Amino acid sequence: MSRIFRALLHLYPQGYRNLLGAEMQAVFDRGARESRDLGPVAYVHFLLTELVGLVSGAVRARLAGPPITAEPVAGGLPEEVLEAQNRVAMNLNRLLYAISHHQFVEARRYSDEERTARLELRRVMEKYGLA
Amino acid sequence: MGPLTEPVLLILMSLADQPRHGYALIKDIEVLSGHRVRLSTGTLYGALRRLLDDGWIQRFEQDDTSRDKQAYRLTGEGRRQLEVEIERLKQLARAGSARLRMKEA
Repeated sequence: MSRIFRALLHLYPQGYRNLLGAEMQAVFDRGARESRDLGPVAYVHFLLTELVGLVSGAVRARLAGPPITAEPVAGGLPEEVLEAQNRVAMNLNRLLYAISHHQFVEARRYSDEERTARLELRRVMEKYGLA
Repeated sequence: MGPLTEPVLLILMSLADQPRHGYALIKDIEVLSGHRVRLSTGTLYGALRRLLDDGWIQRFEQDDTSRDKQAYRLTGEGRRQLEVEIERLKQLARAGSARLRMKEA
């Protein structure tokens, strides 16, 4: 799970990841160890809560833009970027739903779609100099 | 300024007596909330980043031997905002209690 968490951290903007990514990974790893010791129910609950928190946190981080110390983007985020962010969030939500309902065939498909959506998000972010 | 969100309020409360690192914040907030709230990593760091941007907390490197080097502490502005919020909650609780007493009377 640690590797999945590390991969999902790439949903966050690079500056955010550089500042807080290692710390977030360490906090997740400690929480995972602790909840695993409490039994399978506690562990699954922990993982689902973490995944939802991470995905929604990444979407909020993208929408919030760079820290206020950075140069603001004139007129807010471009429509194309917002649409790509929404597609990533939607695919991740479907992926999490499928995993939590043991629908692993669908989960694999949503995982592929999520990867494609993430690549597209990166492309449009780079296009607007936001990556 | 509007009311603080619950994660933000709990983080400020947790840092009011001493600096803490990320995992210690999660554990302390569990206790502070009577084991009702366990912040996920994403929620915690989303709130921490906003608080850093607003200058209500500072991040610093602890010079002890603990494995968690980065820690957070309240700034003067953060403490002031926490005091304002607690006063607002007290006022709200007083108003609510008064209404309940009126109904009972």
